[in-house]
Amino acid sequence: MARVEGKRIAKKDTEIISLGKDLCEKMLGELERAQRPILRATKCALDNSIYNAKIGFLTPGDKKVSSELNVSSVKKMTRAIFMLEILLRNVEISNINTKRELYYVVKGYVKHEAKLRPLDFTDQSESDSVIDFICEMMEAYREELNCVADDRGGQTYSKNLIVTEKEFDGNEAVVDLSLLGTAPYQPRNRPQNLVLQAKKKIDFCIIIESQGTANTLVANGFTKRHNCILIGSQGVPSNAVRAWVKRIQDQLSVPLFFFGDLDAYTMQNIFRTLKAGSAASLIRNSEFCAPDVKFLGVLPEDIKKYDLVDYAVKENDPAEARSLKKARDALSNDPFFKDKKNKELTGILDWLVKNKRRCEQQSFISVDPRDPQMMEKIIIDKIKRGNYI
Amino acid sequence: MAKKKAAAKQRANNEGSSKPMKKGSAKAKTESKKLPQVELDSAKEVIDNVRKSAKMITASSTAEYFAKNLQQVGFSSPTKAVLTTLKEAFDNALDACEDASILPDIHVVVEKIGVGTLKNTDQILIRVEDNGPGIDPDDVPKVFGEYLASSKFGRARCSRGQQGIGISAATTWAMQTTASGARVVTKKKTARKAFSCIVDMDLKHNRGIVKNKENIDWKKEHGTNVEFKMDGRVQLNGEGGLLNYLRSTILVNPHMSITYTLPEMQKTRVERVTSEVPLIPEATEPHPHTMILGEFLAHARLFGHIKASTWLKKGFSRVSDKTLQELVSLHKLPPAILNQAVDTMSESDIKTLYSAIQKSALQAPSTSSVLAIGEDGLALSIQRLGDIDFFSVVSRKPMIADFKPVQVEVAIARQRGVTGEDKEESVQVLRFANRVPLQFDKAACAIVKAITSINWKPYGLRQPKNSLPIGPYIIAISVVSPFIKFKNASKETVDGSDELVEEFRRTLMQAGQRLSRYLKREHKADELEQRQQHIEQFCPILVETLARIVNAPENRKVKAEEGLAKILARDTKGIRQDLNVADQRLASYLQDNKKHLSGFFADIESEEAAAHSERDLEDGEVDEDVDSDSEDSEKGSEKSAKKSKGKASKVKASKGKKAKEKNFKKAEKPAAKKEAMQEPKASTKKSEAPKKAPTKTPPAKKTKPKAK
Repeated sequence: MARVEGKRIAKKDTEIISLGKDLCEKMLGELERAQRPILRATKCALDNSIYNAKIGFLTPGDKKVSSELNVSSVKKMTRAIFMLEILLRNVEISNINTKRELYYVVKGYVKHEAKLRPLDFTDQSESDSVIDFICEMMEAYREELNCVADDRGGQTYSKNLIVTEKEFDGNEAVVDLSLLGTAPYQPRNRPQNLVLQAKKKIDFCIIIESQGTANTLVANGFTKRHNCILIGSQGVPSNAVRAWVKRIQDQLSVPLFFFGDLDAYTMQNIFRTLKAGSAASLIRNSEFCAPDVKFLGVLPEDIKKYDLVDYAVKENDPAEARSLKKARDALSNDPFFKDKKNKELTGILDWLVKNKRRCEQQSFISVDPRDPQMMEKIIIDKIKRGNYI
Repeated sequence: MAKKKAAAKQRANNEGSSKPMKKGSAKAKTESKKLPQVELDSAKEVIDNVRKSAKMITASSTAEYFAKNLQQVGFSSPTKAVLTTLKEAFDNALDACEDASILPDIHVVVEKIGVGTLKNTDQILIRVEDNGPGIDPDDVPKVFGEYLASSKFGRARCSRGQQGIGISAATTWAMQTTASGARVVTKKKTARKAFSCIVDMDLKHNRGIVKNKENIDWKKEHGTNVEFKMDGRVQLNGEGGLLNYLRSTILVNPHMSITYTLPEMQKTRVERVTSEVPLIPEATEPHPHTMILGEFLAHARLFGHIKASTWLKKGFSRVSDKTLQELVSLHKLPPAILNQAVDTMSESDIKTLYSAIQKSALQAPSTSSVLAIGEDGLALSIQRLGDIDFFSVVSRKPMIADFKPVQVEVAIARQRGVTGEDKEESVQVLRFANRVPLQFDKAACAIVKAITSINWKPYGLRQPKNSLPIGPYIIAISVVSPFIKFKNASKETVDGSDELVEEFRRTLMQAGQRLSRYLKREHKADELEQRQQHIEQFCPILVETLARIVNAPENRKVKAEEGLAKILARDTKGIRQDLNVADQRLASYLQDNKKHLSGFFADIESEEAAAHSERDLEDGEVDEDVDSDSEDSEKGSEKSAKKSKGKASKVKASKGKKAKEKNFKKAEKPAAKKEAMQEPKASTKKSEAPKKAPTKTPPAKKTKPKAK
């Protein structure tokens, strides 16, 4: 598939099927000629990531991972082709499976046909890596191969948003979020077929890192008082959240803010992924990130300004030590943080690495514990004063 | 209530009676007056004697010392008592046979004959009978009933026993637990009848007392039978078990035949594997650098009226005229000292002489006094340890460690039939010092320290950090020296200097290299088998799936299967070559060492040759098919062949007959699979041949691979 300035057009089902069949045809032809088939896939790693601020997200470089058929790789290749057949059939009949389900689909075949026993997976990680390899080889999203993940995160609240969904059978479902009461709207894993419409001008969209904080803000009337969209990301944004925010950015053109903690993990794993995608999903970042999103969370200067409660990073805690190390690596290797356009974000990461402090989003509540709207006030104040990056 | 009251009354009475009498009170005076004066005097005398004797310094006999400290000589528990008694009697029997150049044939009986007097013990009968030269009846009480009475003490020879403590300690233990000494029957070749007696110990005077003397008829031409009845516990298995001791002794004594009967076991006979009695080297004269001053002085007194220069030359090794000249010229020794007679020399002169000779640069002592088992003996003997799959033996040259001659030998064997959790156990370590198994206090032994300090992974053994390797292996390591340093009197652990430990390490590593050769060959065979399995399992699925996705007709599917078979056959070429190289090296080793391993591999050599030719034939056919192979795959196989050549060239290895058979079966298995893979290849020939030369293709050529 051609990529224009990092943009990638989603593949249609027919394209996916013909792409898969072409690949198999080529392999079979090579085998007939006793030539070793070589499967090539885009290398999805940080060392093959390119960041261009004009494009706004991480795109793949020229590096490819190739797998030549030999005695050592014949198992991997056979598993990949077998899984490809299942996925292509799913696309043909519009069936959808999760990764876990696909693991059991293969197990089912193995159970019923003894000669397929060598293909059996001992655990899901093996089948997941085969699926990822197929996606990278075909440069297709997992969702395009009808393999979807759990719709985690992305609960959305708004009094002004209407979502129109085109279903598989051609019907349209219209959801007015203002009629849902305090219930959130849960975007699908493949939100590319959603059409968004604002009932009246929406001032901003805010993505809250903590789902609990998002619920608190809604319960306290945040969405009633402001013409906005409020989304809870539930930590690292899932594909659904990433594609959903991208949809909002493209269709509504509203300012997007991310409200989260001040720590290396949030900055690098959560915010960077939401804004510019990730190295592991290089081939689908164009559809799964929102480059316009700004960081509205706790800034280093906020700690002093609001006298926030902050903590020292526990270097003896493996998780925290790991994210600190990853942050150091990111400063020297991550093209997103190395780009001059992101120098303010890089500055925050650098500050975090040097000072080894962290401050959570909820600490804004400590500014005035008797005022339940304190956090809301600070968010609005920060937006008004442009206190974001 | 009544009970309580009675108890209270009793308490009151007790308190009343225990009340001390006041000094000089009237009551006390009247009571002392009541005792007769004679009784008082005698009591006083007894008390005085006791007080005096408590302050008096008395001398005890050696026997009394050992009787009170039997734990120091291996009798620390009833279990160890049985093992130590067997060990001491056995060592004596072997030493006696070897001294008389007789091939030992030992009969051992250990049986439970009743309940022991000690808690949780049985009464055990231990009988060891040898075919040695027999003992002179006059010497019998000295041998079995006297401590430190030995024919080997201080002789600097590689004999098992050294001090003459062990067997006397066994008699002591038997006497102390069952009140019966050692029953001895012995006969010399020249005697018509055997001398039979019971030896008890007079601990006070450290001497044996002979009881029930009689001359009896004995079928044996010559030999000694010693029997102990004692309290003890029999432990058959485990490191400190009797079986382990016997197995170990069998390993290091290839010239010995043994028949043993142990509790709950059938009578077992193990025949000797060599008819050569080891020639025990004569002791060499002591080296001056191995002596301390006291020993030097004592040594001087042994030689009587003799010139010091002559004493130095005759009484020591490595002292020559040149050495004496150097003592005078370099170390400023007054020449007069050398001309004095040693018996008239003053202590200060001897000290001067001693310090001068310690400063001199003498040649290291001779290594001719060490007695080794040898690689041949070890190789033959190790097969008697049971179902052995493979072994490697190394016998290093004698060397000098800490100015003492020493020789280290190692045998590593892999046991077959070890399964399940036992396979995950640490290797079994058999330690030997002067051919005597060491069975206790393993952790403190220098031998074990050397084993754990080696990284065994490169040799193909699994090993947790700083621990013994894991697996069904036996590592036997023997150190022979006239001067082995033990950590205790019971000779259970070798106390090694860095130099000695390094020698252990070198020998072990050499054996490890030989072992790795076999393991590498086995690894190659496994790899080949695994690859063949991969090809067989995945190829049909891959081609069928591809054909299904693209709706390919049957003929395309067949062609693709043939193509895939060809591709993957190229991949196994390299590993086949490696395996062939490993096979050839192993075969050449077997050929080179035919003498050592006589008969062990003879009946499988023909099988080996057959398997080689079969594989060579197959490889030849593969080569024909892969003329158009990509260059890199050929380079790869060349590289791997060179690599294995380089590694294997240093290695010698040998393995058990059954293992060999098994491995050739393994090698044949891939060959059979290869044949299966050749079938589509043959049909390729069928399909391609008509295009090239349809009329010239001989049908016999096509059927050849199938005919295999």
